[in-house]
Amino acid sequence: MQYKSQAVATPYFIAAIGLFAGQILFGIVLGLQYVLGDFLFPAIPFNIARMVHTNLLIVWLLFGFMGAAYYMIPEESETELFSPKLAIALFWIFLVAGALTIVGYLAVPYATLAQLTGNDLLATMGREFLEQPLPTKLGIVVVALAFLFNITMTVLKGRKTSISIVMLLGLWGLAVFFLFSFYNPANIVLDKFFWWWVVHLWVEGVWELILGAMLSFVLIKVTGVDREVIEKWLYVIVTMTLISGIIGTGHHFYWIGAPEYWQWWGSIFSALEPIPFFALTVFAFNMVNRRRREHPNKAAVLWALGTGVMSFLGAGVWGFLHTLAPVNYYTHGTQITAAHGHMAFYGAYVMVVLTMISYAMPILRGRAANSNKAQVLEMWSFWLMTVAMVFITLFLTAAGILQVWLQRVSESPLPFMVAQDQISLFYWLREGSGVVFLIGLLCYIASFFVRGEEKTA
Amino acid sequence: MSTASPASPASGPVNAPQPAFPTEDSGASRRRLPGDLAVWFFILAELLAFAVFFLSYAFARARDVALFNASQLTLDLNAGAINTLLLVTSSWFVVRAIQAVKRDDKAGGVRWLAAAMLGGFGFLVVKVFEYAAKFDAGITLSTNTFYMFYISLTFFHFMHVILGLVILGVLLANTWRGAYGRDAYHVLESGGAYWHMVDLLWIILFPLVYVMR
Amino acid sequence: MSYYTAANRAWILLLLATGLTWWLGESGMAESASVPAAFLMLGLALVKGVLVIYDFMELRHAPRMWKLLIVGWLAFVLSMIALAYWTGLR
Repeated sequence: MQYKSQAVATPYFIAAIGLFAGQILFGIVLGLQYVLGDFLFPAIPFNIARMVHTNLLIVWLLFGFMGAAYYMIPEESETELFSPKLAIALFWIFLVAGALTIVGYLAVPYATLAQLTGNDLLATMGREFLEQPLPTKLGIVVVALAFLFNITMTVLKGRKTSISIVMLLGLWGLAVFFLFSFYNPANIVLDKFFWWWVVHLWVEGVWELILGAMLSFVLIKVTGVDREVIEKWLYVIVTMTLISGIIGTGHHFYWIGAPEYWQWWGSIFSALEPIPFFALTVFAFNMVNRRRREHPNKAAVLWALGTGVMSFLGAGVWGFLHTLAPVNYYTHGTQITAAHGHMAFYGAYVMVVLTMISYAMPILRGRAANSNKAQVLEMWSFWLMTVAMVFITLFLTAAGILQVWLQRVSESPLPFMVAQDQISLFYWLREGSGVVFLIGLLCYIASFFVRGEEKTA
Repeated sequence: MSTASPASPASGPVNAPQPAFPTEDSGASRRRLPGDLAVWFFILAELLAFAVFFLSYAFARARDVALFNASQLTLDLNAGAINTLLLVTSSWFVVRAIQAVKRDDKAGGVRWLAAAMLGGFGFLVVKVFEYAAKFDAGITLSTNTFYMFYISLTFFHFMHVILGLVILGVLLANTWRGAYGRDAYHVLESGGAYWHMVDLLWIILFPLVYVMR
Repeated sequence: MSYYTAANRAWILLLLATGLTWWLGESGMAESASVPAAFLMLGLALVKGVLVIYDFMELRHAPRMWKLLIVGWLAFVLSMIALAYWTGLR
């Protein structure tokens, strides 16, 4: 690596992968609970397993983004990190806070946890993805601000590139929009607005900027294509993201009691949200085809291309599938949403973090790329996880279509739980795909321990 | 006609600005995409956004022609037509500015660009008066589907005029500084293409929303 | 240089076409002969659009793909509007 302080990224990446494994284990438990309702009950009820599954996802992606920032920013800015010590301190604070939160979820009932952590002082708990107790939320803000301070100071004292500016924009946006999670208006429509301003503006707004910056960084490194070319693509992707994504928030306002024009605004703008993802796909393939060098890290190139394709499929295509108001009228809150959520999170954010880890970890461990043997195993893990995710998505889509039919379209609609019984076959198939995904993840972790002829840095 | 080929014959091929992305035709043939390829991708995306908007309007209208026709009568046809004239003229000014810069006529470039911006500002002023009249009449996005589209479509376009003016402002400042000339008009063409797109969109919007019944 | 350039010609034609569209509305033709007026207006929009694309955006001599994409966009949008208009007649 070019700068000593980039090494602080290592613990972030390791923690990310560890929490990723936790997320998948809870996913397996959760998938089983869809068909065997009292599996592990009362130790881990369904709602808790679900909460841990989604919260771990967000936390490990945040670890991944922060690690990526610590790795990228010194190299982009051509200077050492402002304070490596602060970065390490924040790592431990964030890890301990995260672990305590998960322990809290598992150890005591959610209502008790709310009482213990002062939710009656400032009510912030109970909203999906934002279930964290008040102290954890405050901790996230403190860690995020200190992290941003560290990164921003580094950029300010060094070279300012488009990639680092887009990355900063994304990270600052992430922190700023999180502040909406502290405001829970009593009016339930307003409450939904503020909730989406965190959740939507994250994943369909500022996170896409982070994604674009991370992918651009890796593509410059592994393809050797001119920075100016890559930056132009990045600009196009960023602009299209903001044009479509910000007003696209309206696709969450259809049925929450907001004015009717949101059905038009939301449909029209969110229908454009696949465009930046499509640009990302074209971008990744175009750059790799025009590469000026053969980077020894083939696995990282594979992850980068995979991000391009899977983010377009998961976020773009599967998002578009149910984004138009007349369609969403039927599909809202069914397994179609779950299908989209799984492939979009995996294809866009999981894969871009793994791309970065795949590129950076060998360098952090003192070599340009891993041994051939390790890379082959890593590529196996890529295909296992990706194909498993494709099948999870397909099975959930099938389940969703059937659910919409039985529960909402049919002449004699079935009640929710009866419809769920009817689609249990697809839940079993999804669980099987989930196990394959876990095997893929284990291969991925194992690839870090495979030795062999290493390529020197 | 001084359209595609830059500068004097002697410096033609050597000084032709290199597109940042080589297009499939570059080099071998004389066909050339003016401006930057990335800008064209951006324009394409914008066109797609407006296409979705226009067609939503057209098909929503088809389902309730009477309402759309009745509401359309309240629009100011003259204001719409004046704005069309302002935009096409402003667009033409930008073309003249680029032609001037390609002759190394810096003063001409500055003058034409300033005139183009004036046209854009004129458009905004007319539009603001139009909006004021509508809002005074108590019309909002929720009044009916026609007004929802009228306000959203024209406002979305309005924002693009503002962005276009910002771009023209930057081009004007750069031309003033002498950043462009017969060998360097790549950026000017990119910004120009965006402004023409704003014009092109209004050319469809005006008959569609103001006149067709 | 000559005053007869493609851009100058396009500008004059654009002014004339805009005037014609305005007159269709102002004279009441858009009301009394709404169907022919509507299709005439769409035709005028096509001509105006092509003028802007060819002579202002200078795509006349651009790579075929780009010319086709942008003109194709215009033709597609206008024909879909015509289709929607036609379905609204019944």
